[in-house]
Amino acid sequence: MSRMRLTQQEADPIGGITAAPIVAIGAVLALAVSIGLTVAHWHEVGSPVAAVLGIVLVGTAGLTAAVSAAPQFAPFTVDRLWLVVALAVGAAIAEYVSTIGNDRYLYDDYGPIVIGMLILSVAPYCTWISLLLAGLLAAAVLSILVVGSATATMNTVPIGALIAVNSAAVLAMSAAAAGYSYAIVDETLAWQREANRAALRRDAELRAGIARSVQQSRISVLGREVLPFLAGVMTADRITVADADRARELAEALRRALKAGIEATWLDDLAATVRASRDIPVIVDDPEGAAGDLDEDQRSALTALISWLGDGGRSSAIRVTIAVDPTRRRIGIEADPGADPPSRRDLDRFAAVARAVSMRAEVDVTRENVSVELSHVIE
Amino acid sequence: MTLGLPGHLARDSLSRALAHAGHCAAWVCLGLGVVVGAIGATAAGDPVGWTGAALCALMALTLLLVARRPTVTSTLLYLVVGTATVLALTIIVMDPTYRFETTNNVALALPRVALVLVGGAGAGSVLGITWAALGYGLGEAATFLGAALAGAAWSPNIAAATAFGIVVVVRTFDGLSRRSDSRRETGLHRASQQTRELAIRHDYELRATARLHDTALSHLVAIAAAGSGPVDERLRDGIRQDLGLIVGRDWAIDHGHGIFADERAGTMRRADAPANRGGSGSDDAPTLENAFAAAANAGLDVRMTGDLAVLGLLGPARAAALDAAVAQCLINVARHADVDEAELALGYAGGEVTVAVMDSGVGFDESEVPEDRIGLRTSIRARIEQEGGTVRLWSTKGVGTTIVLTVPEGGG
Repeated sequence: MSRMRLTQQEADPIGGITAAPIVAIGAVLALAVSIGLTVAHWHEVGSPVAAVLGIVLVGTAGLTAAVSAAPQFAPFTVDRLWLVVALAVGAAIAEYVSTIGNDRYLYDDYGPIVIGMLILSVAPYCTWISLLLAGLLAAAVLSILVVGSATATMNTVPIGALIAVNSAAVLAMSAAAAGYSYAIVDETLAWQREANRAALRRDAELRAGIARSVQQSRISVLGREVLPFLAGVMTADRITVADADRARELAEALRRALKAGIEATWLDDLAATVRASRDIPVIVDDPEGAAGDLDEDQRSALTALISWLGDGGRSSAIRVTIAVDPTRRRIGIEADPGADPPSRRDLDRFAAVARAVSMRAEVDVTRENVSVELSHVIE
Repeated sequence: MTLGLPGHLARDSLSRALAHAGHCAAWVCLGLGVVVGAIGATAAGDPVGWTGAALCALMALTLLLVARRPTVTSTLLYLVVGTATVLALTIIVMDPTYRFETTNNVALALPRVALVLVGGAGAGSVLGITWAALGYGLGEAATFLGAALAGAAWSPNIAAATAFGIVVVVRTFDGLSRRSDSRRETGLHRASQQTRELAIRHDYELRATARLHDTALSHLVAIAAAGSGPVDERLRDGIRQDLGLIVGRDWAIDHGHGIFADERAGTMRRADAPANRGGSGSDDAPTLENAFAAAANAGLDVRMTGDLAVLGLLGPARAAALDAAVAQCLINVARHADVDEAELALGYAGGEVTVAVMDSGVGFDESEVPEDRIGLRTSIRARIEQEGGTVRLWSTKGVGTTIVLTVPEGGG
């Protein structure tokens, strides 16, 4: 996907989740600025109701941004950006109305800075294009207000200069937001390209190692029973009844093993790895082999979650079930808590990662059970 | 793809992204400074506006230097140029003509904010805040000096202080949030690598499955079906041939790297196989030797149309996979079609090599094939699909079966 359509939240999900508190901080600061500046120019306020409405709108915009960016409501969609910007612009209009005719300085109006701060704080969740567009549109609305305000106060400064300085805060902060979004996505994609190149270079080595280890697998072990038997038959003069029976048994065993081998997916291999390295039971119930249909990022997200649950005494047993209905693939991960059970907050991080790779995620943590349900639309 | 940034790169990457964000904002401020200066010079007829615009443009150019090469020298140069610009602009702007009461005004805010957003050399929150503090401090000092020189009232610039405050908050948050080490904890990078390894492992297991199936299962079934009695010489030859290839060999590796195909081809030449039936193959070019050998062993007469030379368009591994899949098709014909002859048609079109295997046998319905019959699924379909090809099958009961295997040219 091109960097124009990617956000940090998608390219670097952990970065997106980590940034959630900064949105709340930005929202609180924006509210504080609006209250502080309203108090500072209270003598200019002609309509206290509009002034209070402006502050309420700033609070609502901030709350909307903070809630929207919370990991449990991920992913942050572009319509949430527009809602936040619309509420903040509404606050700027309310402030304009509250001081209409008495606004001595544009410099102490909070509208531009509040809009800019809110756009800046949601930068990890939006594309650079949408952030820039939000800033430009907000600046356009503010410019209309400036023209009205200048006409009302008979200001002698050229109107173009007034528009430029009044838009400075919102344009500068939108540019900062867009610049951040562009740069972090660019950095992440550059790293991913490098990581993929390195992975390809390593592949030959990896393949040789895996090929050797495959020989230790179930099928190869069975092969070591079958091949001596065939060698025995080859050198014998006659096939005995016992040989025929043994051949039938081995053929059946081979068929069963091969069938299991074909039906096994990477998820079974992952379960076997976690089982072997952490010594906890990991059961996979995926009758249709649907794990094989997950894309690479979704596999990574699920691998990270299962490996993490299996590590550090977090679980004493893990069950993974995949069910497919006509439209959605549902993946249930249930874990019996271990000595150091995971917290909901920890699991929310993985849920947010899953949401970043087009999955719906629900987390449920009780004393007896940890449950994460992931689902996604089958394309 | 690898999801996200790994922990060890996050610090530098986030630091650069935050510096870039600051630079973008600074360029907007300086750009607006140029616009305001130009408007003042043109619309208001004030030539000093050009001086202001030029100073802002100079500062923006110096910042470009910092953005391209964030060294200590370029950062210090920007701070020096920025401080001088702020000093000069303070003296200009605080002229009584412009009626600004104090230095806390919007005209001075633009270069002052840009000076705070220097970004600067190095990475990390502490350095980022240090450079911003220098920008703020130098800007404030220059404003103070400028106000004194112009005889105007000095007052701290709130916009610059706000910009500095935002830098401190963001950089501090960045530094603190990275301490929680959630990236390492989540292990996304490791999970991506593990996912890749699991995919490769699965691929190898499938190859091993197909290989074991091809070599062992048919012999076991033949032994079980034969019951007690002398060993059929054709069966003995078949077992000897396959064991000669497998026993003592690192066969999963061989198969994965195509050595197996060469070995097998060599063996077949020794075993008096009906190689190069098309008459156009050479020792180097791939052929369908295994397929013909399998057909001969199964007592199946194969008629071929088309040119074997088209297989030369395939890489050795892909040609070997196609050969093995065709061999399995022919074995299926011999076992199930109840005929003693089959037709092979080879062709090349649109960047793809196609082999059609046709028989006029009893035919079957694919959906009725028992689950445990894995020849078609594994040895044919999985093999061809692993090479990026397709398998199409038409079969009508009582009429016959046609299987068309298509693989793209090239390959490993």
